This record gives sequence, C-alpha cells and structure tokens, in this order.
Amino acid sequence: MSASSRVVLEIKNAVKAFGGVQALSGADLVLYEGEIHALLGENGAGKSTLLKSLAGVHRIDSGSITLNGNSFQQGSTRTAQQQGVAVIYQEPSLFPDLTLAENVFVGRHLQTAKMVDWSKMQLEAKTLFDQLGVDLDVNRIARGLSIADQQIVEIVKALSIKAQVIVMDEPTAALSSKEVERLFSVARTLRDQNCAVVFVSHRLDEVFALCQRMTVMRDGATVGSDEITNVSEAQIIKMMVGREVSELFPKQPPKLGDVVLKVENLCSSGQFAGINFEVRKGEIFGLAGLVGSGRSEIVRAIFGVDQYDTGSVSVHGVSLPKGSASKAMAAGIALVPEDRRQQGLLMPYSIAKNTSITVLQKLIRRFVVRRKSEEQVGLKWAKTLQLKFTSIGDAVERLSGGNQQKVVLGKWLATDPAVLIVDEPTRGIDVGTKSEVHRLLSEMAQEGLAIIMVSSELPEVLGMADRIVVMREGRQVGTLSRDEATPEKVISLATGAGALR
Amino acid sequence: MRALGRLIRVREVPVLLGLVIVFVGTGLLNPIFFSVSILNDILFGVAIVATLAIAQTFVIVMRHIDLSVGSVVGFTSFLIGDLSSKGFSLGAVLLAALLVGASVGAVNGFLVAYLGLPSLVVTLATLYIVRGIFNEVGKGQTIVESMVPEELNWLGLNRLFGISYLFIIVLVLMVFAGFLMHRTRAARDLYAIGSNPSAAGLVGIPVKLRVLLAFTSTGAISGLAGAVMLARFNSSSTQSGLGLELLVIAACVVGGVSIAGGTGSVFGAVSGAVLLQTILMAIGALGIPQFWQLAVNGTLIIAAIGLDRYLSTRVKSSNIMGASS
Repeated sequence: MSASSRVVLEIKNAVKAFGGVQALSGADLVLYEGEIHALLGENGAGKSTLLKSLAGVHRIDSGSITLNGNSFQQGSTRTAQQQGVAVIYQEPSLFPDLTLAENVFVGRHLQTAKMVDWSKMQLEAKTLFDQLGVDLDVNRIARGLSIADQQIVEIVKALSIKAQVIVMDEPTAALSSKEVERLFSVARTLRDQNCAVVFVSHRLDEVFALCQRMTVMRDGATVGSDEITNVSEAQIIKMMVGREVSELFPKQPPKLGDVVLKVENLCSSGQFAGINFEVRKGEIFGLAGLVGSGRSEIVRAIFGVDQYDTGSVSVHGVSLPKGSASKAMAAGIALVPEDRRQQGLLMPYSIAKNTSITVLQKLIRRFVVRRKSEEQVGLKWAKTLQLKFTSIGDAVERLSGGNQQKVVLGKWLATDPAVLIVDEPTRGIDVGTKSEVHRLLSEMAQEGLAIIMVSSELPEVLGMADRIVVMREGRQVGTLSRDEATPEKVISLATGAGALR
Repeated sequence: MRALGRLIRVREVPVLLGLVIVFVGTGLLNPIFFSVSILNDILFGVAIVATLAIAQTFVIVMRHIDLSVGSVVGFTSFLIGDLSSKGFSLGAVLLAALLVGASVGAVNGFLVAYLGLPSLVVTLATLYIVRGIFNEVGKGQTIVESMVPEELNWLGLNRLFGISYLFIIVLVLMVFAGFLMHRTRAARDLYAIGSNPSAAGLVGIPVKLRVLLAFTSTGAISGLAGAVMLARFNSSSTQSGLGLELLVIAACVVGGVSIAGGTGSVFGAVSGAVLLQTILMAIGALGIPQFWQLAVNGTLIIAAIGLDRYLSTRVKSSNIMGASS
C-alpha cells in the first residue's frame, strides 16, 4: 500500500435506522486497492450494519457509497456480488451436498452451448484454490468441511466473481491458530492481487499482524481511521470504548473457602485421561490449552452432558452419577457453553423466557408458569448484569453478541449455582463488554462462587484465574499458580515445547 | 482407477448391489427366476412406479414431496380411456392427461412456493381433492379393454429387443431427465435449493419459480404416466392408483434420492423401483406369503435411510481425521 494507491470504495456519512434504533449515524469508510483494512468497534457499534449494506442485505437511509467512482447499487446480495463486493461471514453457509466446484459456481454454473460444463467448473475452481495455495479436492462435497475450509470456499467464490472488495466478518473467531495463519496468507494473496480486504476482528494482535490501515466505529459513526503503524493498541481501545480502559481484567485477590468441586482421575477414551483437580469456594480456576486439547470435553463430562469411562466428580464431597446433567444441576453446577447460539440460547424467545428457563420448576403456580414471574427473573438478572435491552420481552436474537452472553450467564446464575463453568466466556465479544463480563465473574467469585473458566485467550486466563491447569492432547500437563503463570510457560506447556527441556 | 474410486462412493451403488443380491440369491434357490420371462415381468410391472419415481425425484431433491401423484395418475388413466372412447384422437387425450397433471402440479407448486405452505400438507390435500373429482367424474364407470386406445394396447403387448415397450419408455425418459438434471442450470438449482434452502436465494437462484416449475413438471409427467398405467392394465376405475404415491416415494428413497434433499438421481429412483419390483417377484418365486412384501419394503426404506446416515457421518469423520493429521 502506498500513497498513490487508488480508492476502490468510499462510504460517506452513511445513516441507517431500524425502527427507533439508530444503527448508523454517519459512518465513513475508505478502502484502497491492495490493502487489508481492519474495521474495529465494539459490538453494536454499527460494523455489522455497515457490512450488510455492502453485502446488499440492508439499504442505507442516507449517505453515499461509491465503488470505482460510480454509485454502488444497493438492494440485493446478487447485485452486490455482480458489482464486485463479496462478504464472507464468520460461519459460511455452503451447500453441503454439492461439490466444492459446484459450490463456487452455484446459481451461475458455467455453461458451454447452454449446458452445464462440469469440467470447466472443476478446472476453474481448481485454479482458484491453487492461486490461494489451498489444497482441497474440488470434487468432494462440502459436507464435513471445517469452518476454516468453508471460509476458503467462500473466498474462492469471491475470486470467481472477480470481487474487488472482499469483506471478512470475524473470520478468525472459530479458527485454530494454524487455520488463522493459513487465512492470513490467503488474505495477503488477495491483497497482492489488488483486492481491498476488509478484516473484522476483536483480536487486536491479529489486526496488527495483518492489516495496513484501520477504521474504528463507535455508536454508529466512524471515530477514526489511520495507518496501523501510526496507532497503538491502547489508542485503538480508547477510540473503541471512548474512554481509557484502565484495567482490562479487574481482578481482586480471592477469598478461598472449602473445596466445592473435586474431580478425580477422570478418563474418557479418545478424549482425555487422568484428570485430577479441586476447585475451592471463591476461586477462579482456569483450564488452558489449545483448541482441541480436551478442555470443553472435560467440562461437558463434569456437567453430565457427555459420558466418561472412569473416575469421579463430587460436589461438596457428594459424588455425582455420571452422564446426568439434571443431577449435576441439582448439585449446583452450571455450564455456560462455548457456542451460545447453538447450545446456550433459544434465539427467537424473549430475554425473560431465556433467563428463567433454568428455574421454571420454581415459577410454577397452579400447574402453569406465570409470565409475570418469568419477567421478574429476567429483569433481576438483566439489572445485575447491566444488560442493554429495550424490553424484557424482546427476542434474544436481536441482542448483540456480548449482551447475548450476559443472558446466558444470567440464565445460569438464576439457578444459584455453587460451581459455575464458563467455556470461552468472551468469544466474539467486544472489548467493553468483555471487561464487564470479567468484572462480573470476578465479583461472583468474591461472593463465594467457584468458577471454572475454559479459555483460548491467554491474557484472559492469565488475568482472571487464581490457578491454571494446562491441557495438551487430553492430558493435564501442568498446574500453575497465579504468580507462576506467564504467557511463555502456558504456551510451552500447551504446545509441548517445554517437554524437550 | 479414479473413476472406479468415485463410482464406489456413488449413491446408486447400494441399490444396484441389493438388486444383484436379490436376483442372484432368488435364482439360486429357484432357477426359474433366471428366465427371460421373469425379467420381462419385472420390467413390465415396474414401468408405472418407475415413471412416477423419475417425476418424484424433481421435488424430493428440493427437500419437498408430492403425495398427489397416485390420484393424478389414476385420474388421467381414466380420462385417457374415457375421452378416446368418445372419439378423441390419441394426441388430444395425451395432451389432456399432460395438462391435467401439470395443472395439479402447478397448484401444488404455487401453494408451496408462493404461499410458503408445507408440501407434505399441500399435496396430501390435493391427493384427496383429485381423488374426489375423479370419483365424481368417473361415478361407477370402468374403463374396459375396448375403450383403451389401440396404440396403448399395442405398447403394452409388444417388445423391442425383448424388452417391454413400457420399460423402453421408462429408459428414454430416464436418460432424458437424467441428462437435464445433470446438465441444466435450472435442474442444478433444484439440488442447491434442497441442500440449503436459505442460502439458495442469496446466490441468486429464483427459488419460488424453480419450486413452481419442478412441481409442475412432476405433475405433468405423472399425468402422462396415466397412459403407461392404461397400457399396463388395459382398464381403469376410481380405485386406480390408490396408495401408489407411497410406493413411489419408497422407490426414490431406496434408490438413494435423499428425503433430506440435495442429492440423488433419476437413475437411482428407477433402480429403487426395479429393486422393489424384483423383491415382489422373488417373494412369489420363493413361495413366501405375499403380505411379507410390504414388510420387506418397509425394512428396505429404513435400511436405505440408515445407510444414508452412516455414509454421511463417515464422510464427516474421515474429514476430521484428515484435518487433524
């Protein structure tokens, strides 16, 4: 990227309202040819709305979008693609039964003499995959592809329509570090081919590693745009939240009590083995390790949604039967799962219904659940967790990611648990809400809750946990106290790099 | 070698294997089964279900279903006999059968595509409506051999290279429809719609129009199948085609046309129909009471779906292994 680069796309003063909610109120974005441009902002800052206007899903109320000097035709995803703008979502939706080649060209199959030309499609798809340096069989069906590979297929699709602007909406949120590396190299290839790539991520280290320029949005408006080399991480965070975030992880010294949860020699064949640990009242216990090291499997086994082979789990000295989530709940365990959309929430249901679902039994009066009491439970936790919402009857799918996570937290806190297990509690959540979730967890620990936190984010584990167990390939490879734990130690344990010493 | 490797993964392989096993197994137990006349009985007998299964494939790959075909085929077989006995030419009566079928299909397609009603319920309703109209129009009448157009009669009695003309019709239709399903954009769109309905619209596929056209085509072919039915039985009454839709869907499912949409071929659908017919004949040849046929059909459907699920999970797990290594 140099000063002489050509502007590909320019958004000026975009305004968009949904009902009474002002989603965009003066958003600007300038994209140059051959750059990777970070679009930053807290959830609810308007990034998604802006991107969806580019994708053709929304139409802005006022303001202008110019593409190559011409006015950008808004209206449908089809026309957006025809003009050369492609959006790759965090979770792509491919056609699972069709081959990768057909997925690339679906809806506009290549033809010879009015007939679908399969060999031409296979050849062109193959060429495009090769260009990106990704080795995938174009004749295999899309079912069973990893999310990372699905994103690559979407990128190839974008290349096949000769997209000049390729938007990646939080592509790395569900990727392993190896997959992130590959995505980065693909993004750089696109940049070198003169595409303008928009990269949305909440991980600032990724932004610094990959992007040349960045634009920060707050409350629907653009608050700053600059070359990445001119700004520091602290400055970006300040722009995003509009205030200094003095401490990202407000952690107080723990007041440890008795052992609440005890896990002894837990084994599940093919998943994990020899797991031993105790968690005390008031303690935040961190489970660290790479994605796939068995952390989520362990907490699922403890909570009883998955079976295990040998070992035992006990709460307050009473051993739990295996494979029974209802018994685990009765004993005071609560699990906030990794994937809140799929496992944590009933998306079309209200905040009140979602929060009270874990305590429905207690709300029953004369055989029916009263809406009033559901709402009381919902309101109580919404208030405690400082949820941002319009009405307690709103469907949770209308909330931002961070606020959805708060609803999941509230739903489990409503059961008044002794042990709270949180799996990736801040995945895909913006910096401001993240720090709030951390504060809440910390406060709850102060009040005597035992917390098990599974997290792939090192700063989060190091900042929050009083004690850390590191997992590698289903085994417990080390236990570190808060004082001992450094990023280097955790990483070397997690990757096995330390094993050589 | 690569072609062979791909062939093994093809969805039609299990049904063809099943066909070979049933045929050879029965033949070993009762050698009469290996005769040309038995083979011909199978192909002659399967023609109606096979034709309807080809038509049904269009809607099943879209993750829809058309239950009205049994009523449609019965009604048009009656109409063809009735109208030609009143002096209409064969061309005219076939056109009438096609139009009746296409109209029912278009109504199904419109209600499903534009009003968003579930195809299971819509076509269940039209199944009853068409049968009701049939009962009223055909009130107590029966089409007898003398009323059947001569050409259809001839088709039902004669053979080409030893194969019943009725099955030749199936083969021609299968090759033609199979080619279209593989090589035309509109048909490829049907697979995309069935595979991921919400994404299909986003890639610019005119989903509603495609659904309407597919149901209309299914109806049209099912209407024409009335001619095959009349040629096969030389008679028709208000009972004709009763319950046939379930056998047709069974044939498709057994032939690897996934009820979950997105995958399957007309070749598979025809193979499934032939397998069901072969089992029917085998049961006769082995002296097993006929009522077992229904139980066997049911078992096959479950086996087909089970295999389908097994294969798709195997694809999934082999990929996970591939990714981690």
